[in-house]
Order: sequence, then C-alpha cells, then structure tokens
Amino acid sequence: MRRRLLVLIAIAALLPASAGAAKKVQVVTTIPDLADMTRQVGGDLVEVTSIATGVEDIHAVPMKPKFAVVLNRADVVVLMGLEAEHAFLPALIEASRNPKIRRDAPGYIDASVYVAVLEVPGRLDRSLGDQHPMGNPHINLDPVRGKSMVRAIADGLSRNFPEHTSTFQKNAAAYSKELDAAIGRWTQEAAPLRGKKLVSYHPDLIYFTERFGMENFGTIEIRPGVDPTPAHVADLIERMRQAKVEFVVRERHYPAGLAETIAKATGATLVELPAMVGGVPEAKTYIAFIDYNLRTLVKATRGN
Amino acid sequence: MYRSVADWTRDRLLVTGTWTTLQRGAVLVLALLMAVAPLPAPAQQPGAGDEQLRRELDAVKEQLRRVEEQMRQQQELIRKLSGERPTAPPPAVGAPPTPPPGAAPAAPTTVDAEELKRIILQEIQPQLSAASKTFPSQFNPAIGFIVDTVFSSTRKEKSNFEFRSGEVGISANIDPFARAYGILNGTPDGVEVEEAAIVTTSLPWNLTVKGGRFFAEFGRLSTFHDHDLPFVNRPLVLDTYVGGESQADGVEVNWLVPIPHYLSVTLGAYNKVGAENDRADNAVRRDPDEFTYLGRVATSFSFSDEHTLDVGISDAFTPLIKFEGRNSRNLAGLDLTYRYAPLASASYRGLVWGNEFLVNREARESESSPGTFRYRNAFGMYSYLEARLTRRYYPGFLFEYVQDIDRPSLSTKAFSPYFTIWISEFQRLRLQYTHTEASNRSPDDAFFLQWTAIIGSHVHSFRDR
Repeated sequence: MRRRLLVLIAIAALLPASAGAAKKVQVVTTIPDLADMTRQVGGDLVEVTSIATGVEDIHAVPMKPKFAVVLNRADVVVLMGLEAEHAFLPALIEASRNPKIRRDAPGYIDASVYVAVLEVPGRLDRSLGDQHPMGNPHINLDPVRGKSMVRAIADGLSRNFPEHTSTFQKNAAAYSKELDAAIGRWTQEAAPLRGKKLVSYHPDLIYFTERFGMENFGTIEIRPGVDPTPAHVADLIERMRQAKVEFVVRERHYPAGLAETIAKATGATLVELPAMVGGVPEAKTYIAFIDYNLRTLVKATRGN
Repeated sequence: MYRSVADWTRDRLLVTGTWTTLQRGAVLVLALLMAVAPLPAPAQQPGAGDEQLRRELDAVKEQLRRVEEQMRQQQELIRKLSGERPTAPPPAVGAPPTPPPGAAPAAPTTVDAEELKRIILQEIQPQLSAASKTFPSQFNPAIGFIVDTVFSSTRKEKSNFEFRSGEVGISANIDPFARAYGILNGTPDGVEVEEAAIVTTSLPWNLTVKGGRFFAEFGRLSTFHDHDLPFVNRPLVLDTYVGGESQADGVEVNWLVPIPHYLSVTLGAYNKVGAENDRADNAVRRDPDEFTYLGRVATSFSFSDEHTLDVGISDAFTPLIKFEGRNSRNLAGLDLTYRYAPLASASYRGLVWGNEFLVNREARESESSPGTFRYRNAFGMYSYLEARLTRRYYPGFLFEYVQDIDRPSLSTKAFSPYFTIWISEFQRLRLQYTHTEASNRSPDDAFFLQWTAIIGSHVHSFRDR
C-alpha cells in the first residue's frame, strides 16, 4: 500500500513537468528564407531547422547523411517548390524513411502553391537548358510572392496541426502586415532602379526585377544551368554595350571571374547579391535579405 | 478582388477587346429575337403572347442594365490592374487594399493577383484533374536513357571503339506502400536486366525492404553503374573480388537507426553478389548455406559544414561455395570517403577522396600440394582523389593495388590520371591514361576517351551522391 502511494506521488510529481514540456512541432525547411517565415508563423510552437545555410546554390546543396536524420525526425518539411530543390530534397526524403513528409503527404508543405509563376516553359527540351517544368523557381526574391509563401506555410501548418490554426493564421496575418509595410517602403526606395537593365549569372532575379521595375537583359549562362561558351560571352558583351546595360549581378554562389570580366568589358557596374537569407551576414531575416538586395542595387545606381 | 472566374473572364474580355464584339453580337441576337418574337406560336393566345414578350423585353433590359453595371466595375478593375504594372507601381504593391468609404463589401473593387490565381486554380483544378485521368499514359513511369561509349587504345591490345551500353532506366511508385525500378542494359553481348527491384516506402521503424535483382549494398563503388563511376573503368579490386557491379538476386533489409547520428544498417541474402562473380551460379537452386549473406554498417561524420567523412564496413559471407572444393568464402570491405564541399561554391569547387579496402578469404588449392585446400587472404584497394575546379572541369588521379584472388603472391598496381569535362549536367567527356604494372606481366599503358550522355528523366540519388 505504501509502495503504491509512493508510485502515485511520483506520477503526480511528473505529470506537471511532462504537461509543461509540450513537444514543439519539428519543422525542417530547405532554405533559411522559409525557416524565417516559418518561425514568424509558428512562433513558440515550432522548432525550425534549415538544410541550407543561405550561401549555397539552391540547385547544388550538398546531400549530407546528417540531413536524412534531421528529416527523419521532422513533423513537416517546408520547401520552396517548383523543383527548386530537385538536386537534394527528393533523395534526402527517401533516405529519411519518414512517411509524414513524402511528396503529397500532409507534412510536405510546398510554399509555392499560391504563387503566380513566371517562365513556365511552353516546351520541355534539354536543348533549352536545365528547365524547371513548373516555371522559374526563384520566387523568394520577390517579397509580394514572399507573402504568398507565408500564406502557404500558415495553411500547411494548420493542415497538419489544426489545433493551432488560429495561432498560425494570426501570426501569418501579423507578419504579412509587417511585409506590407516593408513592401511599401521598398517600392519607394526602388524608384531609381526602374527601367534599369541587368545581366545576372543565372535567371534567378526575374521575380525581383519584375517587382521593382527593372529589366532582365540576359544571363551569363548560355542556358539555365549550362556554363557559357566564349561565343556566348562575346555576343553578350556586344549586346550589352549596345543596350547600355547598367548592372552585372553575380549571385554570390557563382564564380566571380567571368562576371568581373563582362562588367569591365561593358562598363556595367558589378553587383554581388545573395540569393537567400543568410547569403551575407546582414541578411539574417527575410526582410533584411530583401533590404540588402534592394539597397545594394540602389547604392550601385547612385555610384554610377 | 475577383469573386469568381466569371468576373475575371469578363475583365479579360474587356482587356482584349473581345467584349465589344460580343456586345455587338448580343445586340444583333436581341434584334433578331425582337423580330421573330411577334410571330405568335400556333397554340398561343394573341394577348398572352404580348404579355410574355413584354416580360421578356423587361428581363432583357434588366440584364443589359446589370451588364452595364458590371462593365463599369470591370473598367474600374482594369484601371487598378494597369496601375499595378512595374512601370508605375502603387506605393505598396501587394498591400491589402483599403475599400473606398461606403463601397459595398462584395463589390470587386480590389485586386490581389495571388488571390485571383488561387480562385482560378480552384475553379479549373477539377477539370485539369479530369483531363489527366483521361490519359492512361499519365501513369507511365519516369524513363531515362543513357549512352556510354569509349574509345580505348592500349599498347598490347591495339585500339577499339567500344559501345559500352545503352541503358534504359524506369521507375515509379507502385502504390502507397512501395515503388519499383528497372535498369535494362543493352551491350554488344545482348540485352540484360541489370536491376529490377521493388522497394518498400512505408514500413514502420525506419525500415525498407528491397527485393528482386539489384546492386547489393557492398562497399561504395560496387553499387555504381559503370557510367556513374568517377573514372572510365571499375577498379580492379572490385572487378576481381566483387565481380564488377554488386548485382544480386535476393532480398535486403535496411534500417536507419533512430539516433541523432546517421547510422545505417543493412542485412541481405542473395544467390550471389557480383554480376561477373564466377564463384557461384546464379541460375541453379541451392541449399541455405550456399546463399551469400551480407551485413553493412554505414555512418558519416561532419567535421564542419564543409568537411565530411563517410565510413562503411561491409561483409559478404557465403558458408559454402561449390568451387574447387566445398568451403566458405568471406569478403570484407572498408570504405572511406572524404568530401570537401565549400558551401558557397559547391557547384564549382570541391574535393573527393574515395578509398576502399577489401580482403577476400577463401580456401584455395595449394600450389605445392595439389588436392590440399587451405584458407588464404587476398587484399586489394583503390584510392582516388578528384578535384572540382569549375562546373565543367574535374581532374583526378586513381591508384589501385590488388593481389590476385587465386594466387595472392601475385599483384597488380595501376596509376590513372583522368580528366572529366562536364559539357552540361547531362553530357560528359572523360580522358584517362592508365599505366599498369603486374608482377607476372610486362607493364602496359592505355588511353581512354569516354563519352556519356543521358536523356529523359534523371534523379539525384542518395546512393550515388
């Protein structure tokens, strides 16, 4: 009898502790942009891990075994979608043995579902480069589309954890409001960029330029994912000179040499931009990331 | 905000000018109706016909009034849409619009492109889904085709254009519980089913089971297809000890150990391991002690974001082989792969140092006492270092040492500098020179030029990372 009493007391002592230590939702995101958005939406309810740190090329994130373990313990995975993570995520999900996050499972949260996509190919053909059949996947560079990604994350988390829906939706609304304020400010700050032409290494700035009124003149790559030939570079330089292209943008995960050469040959200003949150130390959050890219370009315009 | 696709469609019609044409058409139809309507139907009373015509006219007038009102609203929408173009963006693009004072809540006075897309998708998704279902080919598996061809020239055996393989790979989910894949390989010797396997996808406890014909999880490069190797030819030690690719007919269970560190355990049972393994016959029926049993443990250590070491230990044990005596055979292997991948430039900078060490233990007939069998160990290894200089250029160097599996006193060494040029992600040229020194043969030199390409579906697999 005394032993039973002791056991009951022990259980009673443990109960509040286990109730207080409610398990957080384990979220794995592919890139830090999504990690920041998910933290904004999930608040204290979520614990978020990002596979990429932000300095990588999203098409070439190293596939490390430790990520399979991280994904194995995930309740949900949040991805940019549009096959942006094709080079590493499908294989890691398979290696993780986690049925909750398999494609089409509820825990597979695709942040692109509400985004209006550009450059959807009319014809799939490898002679046109490393095409993404569902369109250009670099949607994170446009903050308005970023809002749609936040909405997709909130809906995805709500689908998996309906008991927290009101918290997720309330947090998402508050963060969207914050983004709206920033978007208003960015739109004004971007005034000097309107109509300016740029050449980037890879076609990953199209959403950014569309949003802020710039023009994508071309890419250093001959086709998406295909390194340039000397003839392509010569032709690009000639066309850039004629069209008076103002900027050569080197995404920081691409090699510097060729971008520098082209900028020097054409008189364009070389600008180095990150493609994700965490790509530079200043871009710690999604808002700071857009801030950094926009202000770097505006500063370069003033420099001209 | 658009309330329905109908609203949006009207808007698009206005934008494209098609609405005006439709409007003209509607007026024409209306005039025709008015011209035709006075003719009474034979069964109708004259008075009743007039009354009905009046009601129809009133209804048409009301409909026109509504259309005019909707046109006015759509013109307002067009004005707002054009105001959102990049050349003249409003102060807060994408910001929640503020409805004008006194406006009806349901009036489509605001535009949100994302909301519009969502509504459109919501409306057309059932039709899209239905359309997909009408095409049975939608369920066809993903298909890829790989061409691998080599020109080789050796000092002893002259030169040759060698068509190595045309390989078709297909894969798809079977159902919610498993997927299947197949690799059909056409070579100058004929067409062979290189792999045809079923893999579970939904087992609990981090388990997967694979069955059929597949590459058994022995070591690292034994599980690579020839065209996926980092150099032109499979290392000698894998060719002679494993028997080339670790092709096996059997079943394999893999367990991802549920701990915070990556640890994978594989157990398998097969007829034999190795496509070219001549120690056992794949086609005959056998006793349980004539199967080959495999165990493998693999793990990985990340010293930082950029430095990783993968380690694997494999053991393939055959209790009884009916080959020059009835004895057991054990093949043990250790694979170590170091990778340097600077995160910010991983697509054009990096280093891989791959190593495998194998020991084969089996009873061989004594050379001095024919008819006497005793156990012997044969050792072999390879080590290669490959750098990634740009997205295109991957130079490397391969060193090999292997003792003869039947007479371990004889050994062979090979040195192979090679240079891979990735024309794109889907096409590759490779140059390789190999100098071979064997203890029972004169040295040889060989030159290889390999051209490999893939069309169709491709995957980045965890195994071939």
